[in-house]
Amino acid sequence: MRSDGYPMGRSLLVSVLLLSGGNPALAAPNTSNTALPVAEGQYLWREQLVLRERSGGGTMDREVSIRALVSVLGYGVTSKLALFGAVPYFYNKALDVTSSMGRVERDTRGMGDVSVFGRYTILQDDFTGGTLRIAPVFGVTAPTGEDNDRDSLGELPRPLQTGDGAWDAFGGLVVTYQTLQYQLDAQLLYHENGRHDGFARGDEMHFDASLQYRIWPPRMNDLAGTPDFVYALFESNLIHRERDEIGGATRTESGGTQWLLAPGLQYVNRRWIVEGTVQLPVAEAPNGAAIQDDYIVRVGFRRNF
Amino acid sequence: MVKKLSLSLAALAFSVVALAVDNHYILGVDGLACPFCAFGVEKRLTKVEGVTGIEVEVADGVVRVTLQEGKTLTEEQARQAVAEAGFTLRSFSVAKTGANDAQ
Repeated sequence: MRSDGYPMGRSLLVSVLLLSGGNPALAAPNTSNTALPVAEGQYLWREQLVLRERSGGGTMDREVSIRALVSVLGYGVTSKLALFGAVPYFYNKALDVTSSMGRVERDTRGMGDVSVFGRYTILQDDFTGGTLRIAPVFGVTAPTGEDNDRDSLGELPRPLQTGDGAWDAFGGLVVTYQTLQYQLDAQLLYHENGRHDGFARGDEMHFDASLQYRIWPPRMNDLAGTPDFVYALFESNLIHRERDEIGGATRTESGGTQWLLAPGLQYVNRRWIVEGTVQLPVAEAPNGAAIQDDYIVRVGFRRNF
Repeated sequence: MVKKLSLSLAALAFSVVALAVDNHYILGVDGLACPFCAFGVEKRLTKVEGVTGIEVEVADGVVRVTLQEGKTLTEEQARQAVAEAGFTLRSFSVAKTGANDAQ
């Protein structure tokens, strides 16, 4: 079961890391970071529901289903330094697979690995009705999730566990250009994944880009005060993952490259953001056999206070 | 007697208006480009003593601040509050008649 689970593990890890390691609560892309400011003393709270389905895998007919809720709390230490904590809760991680025993279903639930990360603005170029920001992001993921959960068939496959048991680190750079009409975000993020119990996931490189285009109100000329906005979102996530290591050896059928596109909508007012996107796979180039993403739905809200 | 009383009332009314006018400020803020960001500016300016009202005009990058009578907002206070929110103070002025003469 363990080797069967590795392709699933890629999808799980991408999902977890994208959410818990790089998705704060600002008015921003739904799948990556932004460099927009958090005011000193301001809190941000975000909840995001993630529904992910994968299928395929040849004769084994694997099906993977993930239901997770990711909670994020952010705080502005200063206008340039913001700290975030992210807690994923998996209320269902399930694998259906055809084995020599017939169709087998295994699943688990529980809190995942918690991430804490900081973002510091190193460049701020403000102008009337817009801004350009550049901010590095650094963080760690702690092994707070379960990494040796069992069911009636024995220990669950490692990727099915809610945690990986290792400390991971990640860091990168976020660039944001925002005007009243649109917002562009780009992020380059590297994940260095730790080793635990003889197993180390492959390190990951993420390149994310996002366009938010205001579709309501259509014009700002005659509007007073702070009107509510509706943005159309279009996001891109390119993820490359190195091969996993287990027992000192590299697994040839692990890691690979994945490109996802995500259209979506976002409603924004002074205190709330309500948003939803559907991530669809455009291209996947796994190392060896692997199942494919069918879709990833992300819906949620953000609140500042 | 009636004339004196009328003059006194007029003077009182004028002074009240003058005080009120002195407590309206117009800040030009660069970097503001969405409603969610406006909250941070409001939050920081609210911490300035005497502030009773804040209105953000996102389209123009203008923030109107109202203070209690007898309280004042200095340009340095405004600059600091806007900077703490993560934005840049572009201009600062005292509203003369409450007119929409944003910078």
